[in-house]
Amino acid sequence: MLLIINQWVIAERADSLPLGLAKLKALAWHKSFGLTILALAIIRLVWRWANPVPDLSTETRTWERRLANLSHVLLYALIFALPLTGWMMSSAKNFPVSWFNLFQVPDLVAPNETLFQRMRHLHHLLFGGLVAVAVLHVAGALKHHFIDHNDVLKRMLPFGGPGDGPRAKPHD
Amino acid sequence: MTNYFAPLTAVAVLLASACSAAEPPAPKPAAAQKPAPTPTTPPTTAPTGAPATAPAARPAGAAHYRQAGGASLAFSFMQAGAENHGSFRQFTTGLTWDEKNPAAGSLDVTVQTASLETQDKDRNDTLAGADLFDVKKFPTAHYTANSFAKRADGGLEAVGKLTLRGVTKNLRVPLTIRTSGSGLELSGEVTIKRLDFGVGQGDWNSTEWVGDDVKLAYKVPMTRAD
Repeated sequence: MLLIINQWVIAERADSLPLGLAKLKALAWHKSFGLTILALAIIRLVWRWANPVPDLSTETRTWERRLANLSHVLLYALIFALPLTGWMMSSAKNFPVSWFNLFQVPDLVAPNETLFQRMRHLHHLLFGGLVAVAVLHVAGALKHHFIDHNDVLKRMLPFGGPGDGPRAKPHD
Repeated sequence: MTNYFAPLTAVAVLLASACSAAEPPAPKPAAAQKPAPTPTTPPTTAPTGAPATAPAARPAGAAHYRQAGGASLAFSFMQAGAENHGSFRQFTTGLTWDEKNPAAGSLDVTVQTASLETQDKDRNDTLAGADLFDVKKFPTAHYTANSFAKRADGGLEAVGKLTLRGVTKNLRVPLTIRTSGSGLELSGEVTIKRLDFGVGQGDWNSTEWVGDDVKLAYKVPMTRAD
């Protein structure tokens, strides 16, 4: 989550700069962190596939579980789609991407200005969607904790199984 | 780590020369060659002897070639760990070549720096700007070589000078010359350092994000000009 906020901060900064060394640097960091998020998303998905999610049927209502499932699916989709559309933006603009200057990743699409404009629009749109779903996610977790007084939030936190006290540090 | 916008250099390069090639239509007997169109010293018939350092003479058997359609002059450089590509769309190449006397070849290439194309307007504009190619002040880059030499690997290279952004430096340009259709095709690659030519002022003088090395790759069809 901090990585994603960081992405937004860097992107805003890069957007405000004219093309110059400072912008190149900002965008290089943005792309490197974006690839990192994509890699973490893949690891997270594998983890989730290998570790079934806890059964919440005893402490939550059906509509809550449906909404939670929907927002989780959207979150996963967005943390994949954001880096991928960004990567396509770079490829479409003929700016290949490297990961922290260490290695270059392949171009996803051929240079194409129209495609770049579409991907940029989509990238921004998806980010708006991510913010909205993240707000819902946090709101849901807080509702469980403060209104329903159940263990759902505690379970989300690192090292905090049911019964542990709430942690102050945000996860991820 | 590597250069960014260095492409500039690319320009220069053109290359020339000839390696092995061929000169298709030229009559076998060297002496039979038509007189050169421009006044030069009389053709000599020495088959291999023309000193490479005598540029003005047009050796017997040598023919002039000019650039034909479909020529490419591409550049690439490292930027933030990734290889960036571009090309110069406008350049002209002249070659004098005698396959029997490769050393006497000559090459002349002029590149219109403003014709650089990287498929991104911002990057094109930045490259064309005062800190990089400065195309307003230096609208052309020029490479000229009056002799060709053998490389250690047996290939050919033009021995000449590149003038880019007002700076002239010696530059040897590897050349492969082969017959192609009714003419020749020049091709090869050479890497130059953009900062040697001042392509990279201010922030761009750093090689941390935009590398110093710029690779030029050229492939130029040539047809007989005389």
